Amino acid sequence: MSDTVIVKNVTKKFKLHRKASEKLLDIILPNGYGEDFYALQNITFTAKKGDVIGLVGVNGSGKSTLSNIISGIIPPTHGEVTTKGQISLIAIKSGLNNQLTGRENIELKLLMLGFNKKEIKELEPEIIDFADIGKFIDQPVKKYSSGMKSRLGFSISVTVDPDILIIDEALSVGDQAFADKSKEKMFSFRDSGKTIFFVSHAISQVKQFCTKVMWLEYGEIRAFDKTEIVVPEYKKFLKEYRAMSREERKEFRERAMEKQSRPLETVK
Amino acid sequence: MAEVRAFLFINVRKDHDMKSMFTVIKEQIQSFYLIRRLSMFEMRSANNNNYLGILWEIINPGIQIMIYWFVFGFGIRRGENVQPFDIPFIFWMLSGIMVWFFINPAVLESSKSIYTRINFISKMSFPMSVIPSYVIFAKFYQHLMLTGIILIIFQFTDYKISPYIIQLPYFMFSLLVLLLALALVTSTLSTIVRDVQMVIQSIMRVMLYLTPLLWPPYRFDGKYEWIQTVMQINPFYYIVEGYRAAILGTEWYFVDHWRYTLYFWAVVIVILAIGSALHVKFRRHFVDYL
Repeated sequence: MSDTVIVKNVTKKFKLHRKASEKLLDIILPNGYGEDFYALQNITFTAKKGDVIGLVGVNGSGKSTLSNIISGIIPPTHGEVTTKGQISLIAIKSGLNNQLTGRENIELKLLMLGFNKKEIKELEPEIIDFADIGKFIDQPVKKYSSGMKSRLGFSISVTVDPDILIIDEALSVGDQAFADKSKEKMFSFRDSGKTIFFVSHAISQVKQFCTKVMWLEYGEIRAFDKTEIVVPEYKKFLKEYRAMSREERKEFRERAMEKQSRPLETVK
Repeated sequence: MAEVRAFLFINVRKDHDMKSMFTVIKEQIQSFYLIRRLSMFEMRSANNNNYLGILWEIINPGIQIMIYWFVFGFGIRRGENVQPFDIPFIFWMLSGIMVWFFINPAVLESSKSIYTRINFISKMSFPMSVIPSYVIFAKFYQHLMLTGIILIIFQFTDYKISPYIIQLPYFMFSLLVLLLALALVTSTLSTIVRDVQMVIQSIMRVMLYLTPLLWPPYRFDGKYEWIQTVMQINPFYYIVEGYRAAILGTEWYFVDHWRYTLYFWAVVIVILAIGSALHVKFRRHFVDYL
């Protein structure tokens, strides 16, 4: 099987600024200014065709940052990401233009993804059919309910037939019927050998859907293996985490902040 | 941030600038279809809210022209004609200010084009240098419309279409290139430091009076002659006077003032080189500055 996503030594550093003046200092001073925050540190892994990888971890462990880096929305500070084929990111924030109608948004999105006029004409009815928002398709998106917005966003993202799909906590949108429909679509993607990344807090979904699981903690990979192996471990951790008192949890988070404020010594 | 510092502290080599410039020019040509299509959407989303829609692009300038005519033509100039070609003030002003109704919004809108759209655009398969261009192009359609209307109005006056009008496409093209070059600089800088947007707004407000739009700066003599020369440093001066010569049919501006033409293109190329270098250098990191 061929590799579709190769992530090598990826680190993402943010600067934390308290005031606007600190931001300006950071630009001007030769060594920068502000506290470092490592959202991801030295992440290395490969994903193959047909892999469905669940990304799990507590809030702030770097799941969304990693999915944004893989989809090319934000650049890594160090390291390299190589991807093969078209990538589609499905996030709750759908990235639609509120002033335009649903139909215009479809055209616009497809246009920006590099489709030509003829292809857009062919894909449009398919997207409208899948989104199933009826007459609203010719209304401006600002009049949509949140469910309609994410349904439309989801439909566009899946209909373009991407090779790599990144789903960021977006399967929980819409009503049950739509959720079932999207799940069906996801399963068919999985079976046709696409690479899927699945960010979710719902362990049951991850267990049902993913072939592998990556567990992120403090911006590092704590475990990356088959679902059967990682999920029980993660569940055990979650149980412990939930059992922690408020102080212990605070300590855990402080430890995380401390660890993420400086680079790893082990970076080769 | 490290990138900004590197750029501020290390001088970029000249040949590197040139390479970025050719990259950007190539991207513009290759994505021309996309620029045209995206600018249509841009225009639609800007005017969707109003009942009169696109008509406002004509009504607004119309109202402003009336008041400028009243204040400057009647109030200050007392209806005196503009020399050296003895043109009634209203025609002199109309033929110049119509360009400003394109320049002003295009400069302002394109300078914020990247940071306001990057979230929406996120992952895409086209070069980012297309963003300022399609924003400028969306304004260009309105400009074509306004130019058409002005030309029709002039048919009922002594300033009917003359052979000089064939300069007009040349000046339109020159203006588009100048606007794109400026937009590459301003959109990059304002993404990194948002205050740049405010600076540009102030500059544009001043420029309204420093470009030959509302008062003719031709008749300085003696010790004030240099004022006109200084005002000509502004490349928009060239464009506005060129439009005027084409519409009023007074002269072959780009030939009669060939040294000024050379100056204009030198300025455009320098701005384009700087803009492209900045843009290419920072575009990968635009998202980090949000």
